[in-house]
Amino acid sequence: MKMIKVLLNNLIQGPSTDPFPFGETFTPEGLRARIHFDETACTGCRMCEHVCASGAIRCEDSEKGMKFTVWHNSCTFCGLCEHYCMPKAITLTEDWHLAHKQEDKYKMIEQGIVALVSCEYCSKKMIPSGPKITAVAYQGTNKMIEKLGKICPDCRRKHSAKLLSKGTSL
Amino acid sequence: MSFITNVSKQSPWLYRINAGSCNGCDVELATTALIPRYDVERLGCQYCGTPKHADIVLITGPLTARVKEKVLQVYKEIPAPKVTVAVGICPISGGVFRDSYAIEGPIDKYINVDVNIPGCPPRPQAIIEGIAMAIEIWKERL
Repeated sequence: MKMIKVLLNNLIQGPSTDPFPFGETFTPEGLRARIHFDETACTGCRMCEHVCASGAIRCEDSEKGMKFTVWHNSCTFCGLCEHYCMPKAITLTEDWHLAHKQEDKYKMIEQGIVALVSCEYCSKKMIPSGPKITAVAYQGTNKMIEKLGKICPDCRRKHSAKLLSKGTSL
Repeated sequence: MSFITNVSKQSPWLYRINAGSCNGCDVELATTALIPRYDVERLGCQYCGTPKHADIVLITGPLTARVKEKVLQVYKEIPAPKVTVAVGICPISGGVFRDSYAIEGPIDKYINVDVNIPGCPPRPQAIIEGIAMAIEIWKERL
């Protein structure tokens, strides 16, 4: 009886073969494929480079800022970088069209330069903390938090200590 | 001769070489061919059991030191013209095994690769996409 049902279904619905590459195919939700990097959200903590099992992620210092590179030909799409990325600067998209010819082998990268800014107090170059990380760290923002984001860790420490010694809380 | 060329353009035969793969990519390759859902034979190609009949070579695995000579020997037995496809990140770059003492790869140090399909393992649709690319190259080469 079951078999007859299947046969009838096949007659009505047609073959179950996925029409790709001649037609559209499905992409399951949450598929981990091509990596997207948002350079405005990155805080330069380099945790992604540390947890990357296949060493596909490289963070280099340059004059312009921290250069983030991920090579899709070495990436296992495990998603650890996305998991450990607090401001979610790294996201794994569902774009799985990664097959390419040999001449494009070393072009299969996602790159971004996290720009440096000068500290408002001592004008030392540093990576600013963007709105995405403050949203995670402070559950919101105010003027004080925005100001702290623009000064370097050393100056931030001094600034906080000064405020504390005055008896003003952050 | 042109008749044979025209006929063989439509039906390249696939051959798999396992260069020390974990079998993840091999399972996906079996999936693309053997289950009716993905069915790579719609593109006109078919898996064959001997390298002497092969036109498109699918290589999986990071080319371990132990299988290197055997892989290269089998690869030599495949008649030219042939199209080489590296399936998975292991043959392309070494993947998670890169810089290991047991790995001789990446495979393009020894073999001229034409198409790369990254993924760990790549999904069946991505493999079909790569094979379609390889078939285009195969048509040019004939």
